Amino acid sequence: MWPQMTSLLSPWQWVILALVPPAVVALYFLKLKRTPLEVPSTYLWKKSIEDLHVNSLWQRLRRSILLLLQLLLLLLLLLALLNFSWQSSAFAERRVIYLIDNSASMQTKDIAEGARSRLDEAKRLVAARIDEMRSGDVAMIISFNERAQVVQQYTGNRPELRRQLANIRPTNRPTSIDDALRLASALANPGRTSNTDEGDVVAADAVPADLVVLSDFRFPPVADFALGNLEPKLEMLGAADTSNLAIVNFSTARHESRPELVHIFARLQNYAEEEQSVRAELLLDDFLIDAKEVAIGAGGFVTLDFTREDVETGVLELRVAAADALTVDNRAWTVINRPQRRRILFVSPGNTGLRRALESDAARELAQVEQAEPPYLNSPEYKAEAASGRYDLIIYDECAPEKLPFANTLFINALPPDGRWTKQEELDTGIQIIDTERTHPLMKLLDLGDVMIYQGFVVKRPSGGVNLIDSSRGPIFAVAPRDGYEDAVIGFSLMPVEENGELYPNTNWPRTRSFPVFIREVLTYLAGVETDTNFANVRPGGTFALRNEAAGDELTVVDPAKKKQRVRRNRQNTYEFADTQQVGVYEVWDDDRLLARFAVNLFSQPESDNRTRPEESVRLGHEELAAQSALQPSRREIWKWLVVLGLVVLLAEWYIYNRRVYL
Amino acid sequence: MSSASSSTAASTKSRVETPLLNPALLARLERMELVSRKIYRGQMKGERRSPRKGQSVEFADFRSYVPGDDIRFIDWNTYARLDKLFIKLFLEEEDLHFYALIDASLSMDFGDPSKLTYAKQLAAALGFIGLIRSDRVRIETLGQAPQAPGPVLRGRSSVWRMQQYLEGIEPGENVSLHEGVRNFCLRNSGKGIVVLISDLMDKEGYEAALRYLVAQQMDAYVLHVLSEEELNPEITGDLRLVDCEDDDVAEVTVSAPLLKRYQQTLAAFIGGAKDFCSRRGMSYALVRNQMPVDELILSLLRRQGLVR
Repeated sequence: MWPQMTSLLSPWQWVILALVPPAVVALYFLKLKRTPLEVPSTYLWKKSIEDLHVNSLWQRLRRSILLLLQLLLLLLLLLALLNFSWQSSAFAERRVIYLIDNSASMQTKDIAEGARSRLDEAKRLVAARIDEMRSGDVAMIISFNERAQVVQQYTGNRPELRRQLANIRPTNRPTSIDDALRLASALANPGRTSNTDEGDVVAADAVPADLVVLSDFRFPPVADFALGNLEPKLEMLGAADTSNLAIVNFSTARHESRPELVHIFARLQNYAEEEQSVRAELLLDDFLIDAKEVAIGAGGFVTLDFTREDVETGVLELRVAAADALTVDNRAWTVINRPQRRRILFVSPGNTGLRRALESDAARELAQVEQAEPPYLNSPEYKAEAASGRYDLIIYDECAPEKLPFANTLFINALPPDGRWTKQEELDTGIQIIDTERTHPLMKLLDLGDVMIYQGFVVKRPSGGVNLIDSSRGPIFAVAPRDGYEDAVIGFSLMPVEENGELYPNTNWPRTRSFPVFIREVLTYLAGVETDTNFANVRPGGTFALRNEAAGDELTVVDPAKKKQRVRRNRQNTYEFADTQQVGVYEVWDDDRLLARFAVNLFSQPESDNRTRPEESVRLGHEELAAQSALQPSRREIWKWLVVLGLVVLLAEWYIYNRRVYL
Repeated sequence: MSSASSSTAASTKSRVETPLLNPALLARLERMELVSRKIYRGQMKGERRSPRKGQSVEFADFRSYVPGDDIRFIDWNTYARLDKLFIKLFLEEEDLHFYALIDASLSMDFGDPSKLTYAKQLAAALGFIGLIRSDRVRIETLGQAPQAPGPVLRGRSSVWRMQQYLEGIEPGENVSLHEGVRNFCLRNSGKGIVVLISDLMDKEGYEAALRYLVAQQMDAYVLHVLSEEELNPEITGDLRLVDCEDDDVAEVTVSAPLLKRYQQTLAAFIGGAKDFCSRRGMSYALVRNQMPVDELILSLLRRQGLVR
């Protein structure tokens, strides 16, 4: 472990440097030229310095202490230029990646008797560790909620690290550590590349690093991840006895038969080990209209149902007066906007069953349906309107346009013309439905057990879509996104088929009870009716899309903090707004006309359930790791301060030396 | 050039020659007299009691009459009672010898007012008191040539002469304290009060000099005059201190410890002199050149018993 030195200077530079000490000595002697002063008698002075002469060696040293200091300083400078380094692995630079959770649950104020939030504590701990960094150490900071963000790349620049650390803000988003782990892993475990010339090579040197995760570990286990060179250290923040009461759902629905009635549902969940009683207050446009006192058992939930007649439009807010550590889920909002009828174009050679369904009162209430024959698709009017985004949904029954419109589409027994959809197999021997995708909004209320289908084809959807109805031979109904729109394709005809000169119904679906329900779902989901009457709850950080062809190119969104932001119309004729960090009600304005309002709520059970579970291990990929309570930093290096102090002392020494009377 | 030396030069230039005695001071001094702790024989009739018996109103003793005595002094009342002749003796009142010995070396030419000026003022004031009281006043310097002693002054009329003489004293006598005092003692064998006004800054020491005064059996007062520059030097930096008398050089780097040590040395020096004097029956007083002369005489020297 001997110091190695590599000179940074060439020999002649060394010669110049070697001349510096004698120069300093010479300057020192020049400085010491004494000023003559006539005095009445040197008698007393001589007597005074007589004693000092006894320890004259020390006196001489004392007198030249500045010289010694200067020479010492010079020596240090020369040593620095020698570029000393220790050949030792112990002093190799350390790399640390800090993953800091800034999801909603990290806002819980349960550190130090509620004085600090978990995120503040995490930042405090990381800041302390940044202070401890030795020179050569580098650190990276990644903040993560459902997304990961590299706050600061690897750097040894401590002020920068501290600055970026301070910039981490709490979010209202759910937690998912996957992205953050992959980001960290990408740096520590570089991938291998196969190059035909060089064979299998590692793209870059693997850089082992400490991975410090500061979180309350309220996220699902991470599957399919290998730590590799990362040395994980999980630090759990938060108190185990934290209790929380949360509104996990808040929505409205109109009564089926009496549309003037509005059901207002809310679900309150108690994440505590004891029963809690709270008062839930319902406000309409900031006026209290109802309140309920509810008791919720330990770990249980309560569903509240307020049914009101007087709620036509406005902002509903539910507040629970719970004194818990996480406040973001104690309020929830929902908006009842004035229903806006959607425009639908129905192009069909004459599908009576479907036409009737679309002409029903229920359907008409939701949408304005225009009908056309397939030849209309070739007319310039159609082309202009399809391109303008005027329609919310176009249903192509047994026909297809030349070009897909700027609208959601439903193709029945036809394929979108963009080539991404294909017929996989023609089926003509009777189709048996074996499964439906009940989780999808289009299918969630449908029971297709009594539906029979004679002919059709297997739909091969493009990637990113969902198969909605699976037959024994393959999917026959699928939906897939296209830019900002969605295309749905039904792989069988709803019209009668002609066989041997006679017409037979191809399917009995239009005559079953599930068909009107399906049409309603098509109208609400594909035509986007629901998003207007009762906007789907936007999650914090989620995107809100508004389609309004009458509005200008730019809309203004006013967030709950009354901050205004401009949103431009995009290529798909929609306005998309993604800066939905804050919970609350956002307003969309077109100049001075209020177009819509939407609510952003947390509604996340994992985030609201902020009890930490120190006893449970955390699964990161294939490893089960124990999270430990965050430890206080063990050691604080003070050498920097000592150096600063030393400089101050040196300055003071210089001052005193020149004003010796004080010493 | 350090700030201290420049200020010294400036003060030397700006030094104003003040009259040695001013009327206000004289008015106050007129009421005073010099006091000797010892009673000495004078040369002339004066206002002092003398060991000599003589003619005064102050009764001293009786003595048997011997033929030849002045019969005017026979106490006839006693003769009537005792039938014996007694002579009444009265104390003779004579003059007092007052010597002021001024150190006029170069070292006395420092300070504002310079120590020498101060010494001259002091000598003038004391001399004036003596002259007023018909004492025999003689003012000399240490460097006085043995052949040319200072004038003997007596009576109020000599005040002007005394002032003239004092004003003629210039700094620059290069004679050691010891030698100067010895010469003085040789010249003046008479008893009386001697006031030595000096800074005692003699590298050979002041002890031998003072011993001469003790041996003279005079009522000796040592007025140790020091300037403010000596008592609280305000100098800084690396200096080469040059002795104004013998060009002796002391290289000092003025630091707080050194200044502290200087103060200690100074205190030891002053204390030593004081001790030396009091042991030998001399009166010692440290005199700062900043102290007004009248205040010095009216308070300090009165306390010391030199004046009354």
